[in-house]
Amino acid sequence: MRDRFNEQLEQLNVELIKMGALCEEAISAAAKALLENDAKLRETAYAVEREIDQSERDIENLCMKMLLQQQPVARDLRAISAALKMISDMERIGDQAADIAEITKDIGENSVTGRIPLAEMARGAIGMVTDSVESFVRKDLELAKQVISKDDEIDALFDEIKRELIELIGKGDSGEVCIDLMMIAKYFERIGDHAVNVAEWVEFSMTGQHKQ
Amino acid sequence: MTVKLVRNSMVVAISVMVLSIGLFLGMLYQYFTDKLMDELKTEVTLVAQGVELQGQDYLNGLQTENRITWVDGDGTVLYDSVADASTMESHADREEIKEAMTVKSGTAQRYSTTLSEQTLYATKRLSDGSVIRMASGQHTVGLLLLSMAQPILIILLIALLICVGLATQMSQRLMQPILDLDLEHPENCETYDELVPLLGRMRRQNDTIQRQINLLRQRQQEFSALTENMSEGFLLLDKKGHVLSYNAGALRLLGAQKPEGEVNALVLNRSEQFRGAVEDLLHGQKSQRCIELGGRYCNILVNPVLEDGELTGGVMVLLDVTEQEQREELRREFTANVSHELKTPLTSISGIAEIMKSGMVKPEDIQGFAADIYQEAQRLIALVEDILRLSQLDEGVVNLEREPVELLSLANEVVRRLDTTAKKRNITLTATGVSAQIQGVRRVLDEMIYNLCDNAIKYNRDGGRVTITVEKTEKGICLSVADTGIGIAPEEQNRVFERFYRVDKSHSKEIGGTGLGLSIVKHGAMLHEAQIQVNSQENQGTTISILF
Repeated sequence: MRDRFNEQLEQLNVELIKMGALCEEAISAAAKALLENDAKLRETAYAVEREIDQSERDIENLCMKMLLQQQPVARDLRAISAALKMISDMERIGDQAADIAEITKDIGENSVTGRIPLAEMARGAIGMVTDSVESFVRKDLELAKQVISKDDEIDALFDEIKRELIELIGKGDSGEVCIDLMMIAKYFERIGDHAVNVAEWVEFSMTGQHKQ
Repeated sequence: MTVKLVRNSMVVAISVMVLSIGLFLGMLYQYFTDKLMDELKTEVTLVAQGVELQGQDYLNGLQTENRITWVDGDGTVLYDSVADASTMESHADREEIKEAMTVKSGTAQRYSTTLSEQTLYATKRLSDGSVIRMASGQHTVGLLLLSMAQPILIILLIALLICVGLATQMSQRLMQPILDLDLEHPENCETYDELVPLLGRMRRQNDTIQRQINLLRQRQQEFSALTENMSEGFLLLDKKGHVLSYNAGALRLLGAQKPEGEVNALVLNRSEQFRGAVEDLLHGQKSQRCIELGGRYCNILVNPVLEDGELTGGVMVLLDVTEQEQREELRREFTANVSHELKTPLTSISGIAEIMKSGMVKPEDIQGFAADIYQEAQRLIALVEDILRLSQLDEGVVNLEREPVELLSLANEVVRRLDTTAKKRNITLTATGVSAQIQGVRRVLDEMIYNLCDNAIKYNRDGGRVTITVEKTEKGICLSVADTGIGIAPEEQNRVFERFYRVDKSHSKEIGGTGLGLSIVKHGAMLHEAQIQVNSQENQGTTISILF
């Protein structure tokens, strides 16, 4: 019985790693679609997002099965409940990546993207997602904490972008693109928040303590 | 073990006891019966004498525990000390009476109906023919045993206690040396003799195990020494995708950290291509994939291991193909470039020739068109010459006759040749420095300086300056060509030596040149084992130094 359970836990771990990797792919595809205006990458982002949704359902089923059949306690229960929370955050990351890709279709080539630190923000968000997944994969508490503290940088970048876009709109310069870019920046900021959530769940599953 | 010992010793104790009780009872019973019979005989003789003298009065006054019967000669009971004589049947047929009638005295041992117990009888005939009989009840063996039950039980209890005590002690004595055995060095243990063969076998087994462990360790060391030192990555996975073995190369190529304990392969890397490779392996498919990790290219060869058609695991070999990949790209670029560069002048020539062929050109314009054709053909020739020269340098087939070459005079010669070109754009071209001689191939050196100066003029602004300096430094002889031109951006400084690489692609046509000049310089420098340094600032100028 315990063997079977261990096998399921291992499977859960592997599935989560795969889902995390998919999230990384989705967001980097979306960021590239934005910065390089590549239609093919946009399609990749959609496809990966669909895979992420499927992955979320699979992992959810697996978790439910484990909860019902094995009635885990203590550490195991924590791992499973953390997994359940993690996948909803990861799924949101996937959705937002797809949303970013969707918006890139409208903005296309423009002169504004290069003038605001959007590439930096995308790099930061990708880095946070990668690190949060990595902290889960390696069970690295230190890295999880780093992700949590990195959120402030992304927030600061978001504020900066907001200020610059307001200025651009004030000059009467391509208002529509500015608003689209504003939304993209917001999505990146949200992705950062979800990455922080994932890192917090990693912390919870390891220590049993949830950050207030 | 203790329980078994207690049981065994109890069985021994009880059986010894039963046997001895049986033996004693068997022997003593007969002895006591005989004794009793003798006593009866004596008593009956005494009683018979008493009765002869005093008759029945004697019997009445007699005090005895035994039963006395006086039987008349015809069997009629005259007196009985226990029962009423008048009611008793004739005793003539009793065995002991009959015996006494015939031989004066008799004995018998049988069950008495009167006393209802096993009885011993002794008889004596009197002178009047009557018989005196005495009877004594005899206890049966069962009764005897019953009366001994209490002491027997006590003895059994004591025996049980002794057995438990002894057995416990014994088992402890047996077990203690075994428990205290030093399994690593059984020969050093102090034990009893019976254990010695066991210890011997243990020692031999220890030796065998140690030998095998050493062998395995040696194999392992050899294996890891081999795998650790190979530049290729090596990963061994089991059928569930767990990493069984890996080498440092694999971790380096996958950009992974040293995993702790047994981990899934995806912990090392989770990129799409690597996931695919692991899937392939777990599905038992051979495959080859190329993954890009942090700017490096890595080829993964997946080899599943099958046993009886069932997957048991697999091997992944990772090869760093970054350089190959880069070379391949350079080659592709070169081919594309060379075809493009060759095609451009040919297209012009063919176009002009076509117009002339169709007779659309007026005779007075022919000269102009011919000049165009000539110019394009010259460009083509220059290009082919450059390519040829470069490939000669590449192959090293150039006539490598080295001779002492004086660099400053060579530089001055180049200045003379290029003077007209420089003047056209109002550029001052000078050669300065000290006279320095090196061993080299004159033609190649001339080409190198010529190309450097040519570039310095081409990419200069009008009215600029080009200075060739020859100087002797502590590192060697240095020839540098400095201009005041457009400069080269830092990220492009390494690429300008690539074939057909142009910094300013949009204006290359008006500037002219083949894009091979600096490549020729680079190969020439390599031939002379010289180092090239580029020092450039955008819009300020470039200095290219060759250190011989």
